[in-house]
Amino acid sequence: MSELALHIPNGIVDIPTSLAFGLVAVLAVGACTVAARRGLDERLVPLAGLATAFIFAAQMLNFPVAAGVSGHLLGGALAAALLGPWLGVLCVTVVIAVQALLFADGGVTALGLNVVNMAVIATVAAYGVIALALKLLPRTRVGLTVAVFAASVVSVVAASAGFVLQFAIGGEAPGQTLGEVAGAILSVHVLIGVGEGAIAAAAVVAVALARPDLVHALKGARLAEAPTAKETARP
Amino acid sequence: MTTSRFTLIGALVALVLAGGVALFASSSPDGLESVMLEGCETGADGEITGGECTLQQAGGHEIGGPLADYGISFVGSETLGGSLAGILGVLLVLGLATGLFRLLARGGKADAGSGGA
Repeated sequence: MSELALHIPNGIVDIPTSLAFGLVAVLAVGACTVAARRGLDERLVPLAGLATAFIFAAQMLNFPVAAGVSGHLLGGALAAALLGPWLGVLCVTVVIAVQALLFADGGVTALGLNVVNMAVIATVAAYGVIALALKLLPRTRVGLTVAVFAASVVSVVAASAGFVLQFAIGGEAPGQTLGEVAGAILSVHVLIGVGEGAIAAAAVVAVALARPDLVHALKGARLAEAPTAKETARP
Repeated sequence: MTTSRFTLIGALVALVLAGGVALFASSSPDGLESVMLEGCETGADGEITGGECTLQQAGGHEIGGPLADYGISFVGSETLGGSLAGILGVLLVLGLATGLFRLLARGGKADAGSGGA
């Protein structure tokens, strides 16, 4: 009980709501599976496996965000930047399923709730922000850093908003109004998103420097040199 | 950098994070837990000692198991157990995810082709 690690345990959201979101999770992950296999090259398989293992490892690293409060990376922004939205959702789903089934992290009844929030909402939201940001920003180290950082903050807050919705439907807080719960949840997750942004941006930029072809968000382009973005277009 | 070299370095980084760095991670309640603890008092070990809060509604985990809470139940040392559980978890997730994605990639190829074999 002392190691909840941002995952919803069983008993917090009632069974009917948990099962309904379980169904939503099955449909969403099924749709992502269909969409992902269209673009899935066998050469991408080792990277997708590695990204999944990295997200599992990074989720163990709780960092302090305020006095007596910690947070950890969810991985949606990292997965979306490296692998795109559909494969990215599948990566985080594998992590959350292994955590719930083998590591007692997140209730089994709550698996659908956790998959919807952390795998589906976070990854899709992150991908939206990255795609938009890379249209507006130059594809430099700074541009990519800003894009992944912003995507991380938005994705973590969006995931926590998913919890607030689920809790509004099927949860009950003694002595707290829903507004108070929502305010507290969303504000602490802004801080967690900032921490996630620092880690995810560093990881994505490291991959972009070593193997730019493995960063889905760059669409096969290399990172341009920061000060002279236009000059590098020439050979 | 070749893909196999890249994958090897990445896997080593993940193993070091899960098997080593994670031992130094913050053990404070996380964002979700801290909000659900609102109204309760907790003791030095983080257990609820009084008051009324949402987290009291949480049941024990349905499965538990020997790796529960990122430890190994039959290893005496918490540090060694935590480290081994992290390493085991990374290898397991790496193998499982790689296997599943490989199946998916082959399935997609078979579908795109003549629909068989």
